[in-house]
Amino acid sequence: MASRFRSREAWTGYVFVLPAVGLFAVMGLYTVGYGLALSFAQWNGFTPQWTWVGFGNYLDLIYRDPAIAPVVQGAALRTLVVMIAVPVLTVLVGFPLAVALNHITRLRAAFRTVFFLPQVTAGIALFYAWTYALQPDGSLNYILRHLGLGSIAQPQGWLGNPSTALPTLIVVMVLGSVPVAMLLYLTGLQSIDQSVVDAARVDGASGLRTMTAIIWPLLLPITGAVVMLNLRYALQDFQTFLLMTNGGPGGHTLVLGLESYNLAFVSGFKPTLGLSSALGWTLFVVALLLAGINLRVLRSRA
Amino acid sequence: MAALAVVTTACGGGSGAGDGSTLTMWTFKQTHVKALQAAAATFKSKTGITVEISAYTPDDTFTSKVQSAAASHNVADVLEVHAAGEDRVLGGAGITTDLAGDINAQYKSRFLKGTADTGLITDQVYQDSLKPKATDPGVKTGQLLSIPFTAGTFGVVYANKDKLTAAGIDASNAPASWQELISWLTATHGKDAQNGGITLGLKSSSTGLDWAMEPLAFALLGPQAFHDLYGTDKSKAWGSANGQQVLELYNQLTPYWTPGTQTLGIDDADRAFAQGKAAFDIGGTFTISAIQQNGMDPAKILAFPIPAPETAVAKDFKLAPFALTGLAVSSQTANRAAALQWLDFLTQPEQAGAFAQAALDLPGTDLGANAEKLVGPYLSSMEAAFGTGDHAWNPGDSTFKGSNWDIQVAGDILVKMSPLKELDPAATNQQLAVYNTSVHSGQ
Repeated sequence: MASRFRSREAWTGYVFVLPAVGLFAVMGLYTVGYGLALSFAQWNGFTPQWTWVGFGNYLDLIYRDPAIAPVVQGAALRTLVVMIAVPVLTVLVGFPLAVALNHITRLRAAFRTVFFLPQVTAGIALFYAWTYALQPDGSLNYILRHLGLGSIAQPQGWLGNPSTALPTLIVVMVLGSVPVAMLLYLTGLQSIDQSVVDAARVDGASGLRTMTAIIWPLLLPITGAVVMLNLRYALQDFQTFLLMTNGGPGGHTLVLGLESYNLAFVSGFKPTLGLSSALGWTLFVVALLLAGINLRVLRSRA
Repeated sequence: MAALAVVTTACGGGSGAGDGSTLTMWTFKQTHVKALQAAAATFKSKTGITVEISAYTPDDTFTSKVQSAAASHNVADVLEVHAAGEDRVLGGAGITTDLAGDINAQYKSRFLKGTADTGLITDQVYQDSLKPKATDPGVKTGQLLSIPFTAGTFGVVYANKDKLTAAGIDASNAPASWQELISWLTATHGKDAQNGGITLGLKSSSTGLDWAMEPLAFALLGPQAFHDLYGTDKSKAWGSANGQQVLELYNQLTPYWTPGTQTLGIDDADRAFAQGKAAFDIGGTFTISAIQQNGMDPAKILAFPIPAPETAVAKDFKLAPFALTGLAVSSQTANRAAALQWLDFLTQPEQAGAFAQAALDLPGTDLGANAEKLVGPYLSSMEAAFGTGDHAWNPGDSTFKGSNWDIQVAGDILVKMSPLKELDPAATNQQLAVYNTSVHSGQ
């Protein structure tokens, strides 16, 4: 009797799970398999037949095609810069912000909400707002000029000067990713046993010493998660670059994610969907490797 | 993409009912929607056939919409497509149908000279389609895959008459030469450095290349030497003295770009001009509708083609009108006869004139002596800049460039010279030469 009940219970479970499995099979496995197959073919998205090229797309991207490889190499370098800068700056801004919020009791919720707002604002609205603020006659230059800092204002706009365009985009990305980092750190700080901190103070540790020797090491797993999340974001993001600069000026903000988008949709109907897919898979493999390294590092510290 | 196709199928919106009473039409131009809807209302009153118009913008959204709809056999009955490119891609893929049997010589005679056969697959187009990285595999000689809907050209400069007058310039006539245009810029920029310059949507860097630099190069060098810039003979191609000469002239614009022009999209640049933030705006015949939509009175605009330099080889340089967009019929439609009726209606002179007035865009139909009456003074004045033949620059013709030539990559190189000043003309010439060679070696 009990086994029949358990069997019915199991079947009910399967029935509930089935739609999700079906959806994953159609929307997940099928599209992933389709994308992988496409990375070995040449196709413009319209013709009924694909032209199989094997690993040709990967080789073209890395070194073989003289028209594409140099563009991809430049984009890879910029992507690397973004991958280093965004996680590091997010931790450098998010952690102190969380510590400061953790120390105040009045208006903590209000400040937390203010800092978290960028995360819940629609990306497109935020990017357009930034674009207007960063124009030659935008609010950032206006404020700088009225603070007597006109020498650092950008006459061509912050996105128009090749030397400030990529750093500016990195700042925008960091400001977008700090809210989640701050919230994670805040949660971590509030879960630390107060007696550990009190014991350190009794032993005569200063505030800085407590922070560096006790609190920071305890929050390392959170730092690992923040770094990982932002590495993935920095590696695969393209919408920030597409909407704010379209890779400009003069290709100075073209990153791999945007190049993959360009090869798929902005290539004048050239048969480059396979190249785009190959680039996407390369990014996926790099993201997988980074996740593996991150997991290994965190496990060794556990 | 498959996921997208599923979503699109679920949303519907494809071919009509099949009884000939309802048609669907997709366009990628938002500025055409109201004019097309007005045409559809007239069409319905005459034939009883309803046409539902949908716009999917920008261009890449339209492309992915058609891609996914084609995969699920749900493409609209009629498509407004980019002429001389997208029409061939869709036709070669079997998504749109061959119109050659339905459009005879008499039908073709209604279109502007030189545009009627834009959608025709000539033997040369067919041979190119057989190359490994061709964009339009599957086309066959003799097919007609679209008919012209709108026509026009790039390389049109718009100037703010008030700003010209304020700078002491007679705004009643266009500048006689490139050098005079530069002197005008010097004057307006001198009067107001912030808002007296020239703009162009250089966020898409290719605009600088094919809307401004190429007509200038064509006028300066003449047709043959211009084509040779993109060829394999290094003594005449990019990197040569000819390339250097072109780039030095184009570089004369550098001091006068409106601040931040390199960050503006095409629409943003038109808006900046309409708001008085620039004295000049470079675009095409289609730009006037955008300027007017942004609130500027067309009477305050002086429009003229990029002027030829004083030492130009092509002294009588003109702009060749070419079909910018075409009309194509889905091969999946159950309403082919009604779709052809709609195409015929849209391209009749009277309706084409009504469309032009409503959309402020030039039709592919030749309006003849009635042009001014039908399209209004601003569009008809532009027709004066048009010409055909050897000394007319045709931006629709890219047959002399390497088939993998990517105007975006070349545009980025040009932007590094002007307005970014990262490269001088010699270094730009060299980089374009390296790119041109790589394109040819990659064929």
